[in-house]
Amino acid sequence: MTRFGLNEKKLAWLCLLLFVTLMPSGVQASVARLHLFPEQVEVGAFFQGTTVRLKGEVPPGSQVVVEILGTPKEQVLLRKGRRAGLWMTVGEIRVEHAPNLYLVLSSTKEIPSLEGRNAPWGFAALKSRIKFRGALTEPEIDRFFQEFLKLKESEGLYAALPGALSLSNEPQGPVKLEGVFPLPPKVAPGTYEVRLSVIQNGQVVDQKSHLLTVRLVGFPALLASLAFEHGAWYGILAVLIAIATGFLMGFLFKGKAEH
Amino acid sequence: MWNLYLPIAGNSINILLLLGLGGMVGFLSGLFGVGGGFLMTPLLIMVGIPPTVAAASDSNQIVAASTSGTYAHYRMGNVDFKMGLLLLVGGVVGGTLGVQIIKILRGLGNADFVIKITYVVMLGVVGSYMFVESLQSLRKKTAVEVRRAEPAKPSVYGRLLQKLPWHMHFEKSGVSFSALFPLSLGTLVGILAAIMGVGGGFIMVPVMVYLLRMPMHVVVGTSLFQILFTCINVTIMQAIINHTVDLVLAILLLVGSTVGAQVGARVSRRLKGDQLKILLASIVLLVMLQMLVSLILTPKLLLSYKGGH
Repeated sequence: MTRFGLNEKKLAWLCLLLFVTLMPSGVQASVARLHLFPEQVEVGAFFQGTTVRLKGEVPPGSQVVVEILGTPKEQVLLRKGRRAGLWMTVGEIRVEHAPNLYLVLSSTKEIPSLEGRNAPWGFAALKSRIKFRGALTEPEIDRFFQEFLKLKESEGLYAALPGALSLSNEPQGPVKLEGVFPLPPKVAPGTYEVRLSVIQNGQVVDQKSHLLTVRLVGFPALLASLAFEHGAWYGILAVLIAIATGFLMGFLFKGKAEH
Repeated sequence: MWNLYLPIAGNSINILLLLGLGGMVGFLSGLFGVGGGFLMTPLLIMVGIPPTVAAASDSNQIVAASTSGTYAHYRMGNVDFKMGLLLLVGGVVGGTLGVQIIKILRGLGNADFVIKITYVVMLGVVGSYMFVESLQSLRKKTAVEVRRAEPAKPSVYGRLLQKLPWHMHFEKSGVSFSALFPLSLGTLVGILAAIMGVGGGFIMVPVMVYLLRMPMHVVVGTSLFQILFTCINVTIMQAIINHTVDLVLAILLLVGSTVGAQVGARVSRRLKGDQLKILLASIVLLVMLQMLVSLILTPKLLLSYKGGH
């Protein structure tokens, strides 16, 4: 040990520092808490998007980031470009590992970064995970990532909401966390991970995850199961309804004309 | 409050907006005998329906609008079933050929260029020709009537028609020529419709008027009859293969469109053939202009979802 200039006291401090830095999240798990209201979102006939309330507790002096992550899904998009002076589709771009929903909220005015390494949240982190293939070259990836964000943000499926979380100033004990995030009407049924990260001194000291379920109920659920599980019957039913409505309107108008 | 969730489209849309869109397109359908797909699908995409769902559900609503329109025209004696069936058979053959052509073009990498250019050129040519012809016809009505009254000297085109085998008389349309003629024209329109990804009503109507020389009112009814069967086929195929027919969306659109189609059919009866032609020509030219502008101006987003027209 002396060869590296470390005495026992320094070694003890180093061990303590390593312990704090590499400490498993479970050690401080008793402090950070996260709850969702509601935990399950039901998509019925009159669903037009909703909001989900977040409540929790974090240790004093923390910054907080909450991410809402959907399942990664391959998406095929059409790239527009100019040919002979006219704008048109010039090829397909496959987007891999992009979640179908990505919202990031923070308690700070800007989405916080980490000291010494890239933050695992935010659009920059998302960019490092997403792969673009198809009708684009390597130098075009940055530009098309921005275009991809614009497309998703226009649908409300991706959003960065700095300052959307509030922390109470408790004199003692854990700080209360509150916030609200929007789920757009285009949110797909499925399970979403709501991940809370607690940051102190530029390091993640704790993480908590919660699952949020979005499911179809009532008439939309019935119709979706018919459409996906009995396509032929669904198609015939759709045609019969259309023909019947067409004739019904014909009869109604005929009757009206005769009077 | 007025929003309804569309389970296959996966979005929530205002009911009144969809009823209004359906009504407007149904009115045009009843008035001119076009399916309205070339108008409705882009409008649905604009209000937030995924392109694939917009195209498939639109086909479903066209079934209702064309049933309503065909029925209304049938009562008025405006449907030539014999001609409609021949055009339909040709259309199915042409559609199948067109799909293969698109596959080859996609393989070569210039499918979209061909589609867009075909669209703009077809809309431009058809719209301009109909517009000019109807305008001249409206202005020189008397002269046209005198010319029609003269004993017609058969043109080269007319003589060619008479020489083809399988001669047939089409009572409702008041024309006689070979069955091969509507069959091959139906095939041609089918190819163009498949390339452009539309039902083809707006090409079929001018073909019936100018090449088959059918009276405008019979053209409208017969075109709707043919569109009805094309769209039944498309709806069932889309439901089985792609699961993209949204019944809620289609029902909202078809409630609007069937009422619109009835009103359109009534207005159509009150208007003269040339007035109808000039109105349709104006709409076709407007759509062409809108498409041309969208081709020239830089789009807001350089990425879009796959599918649709």
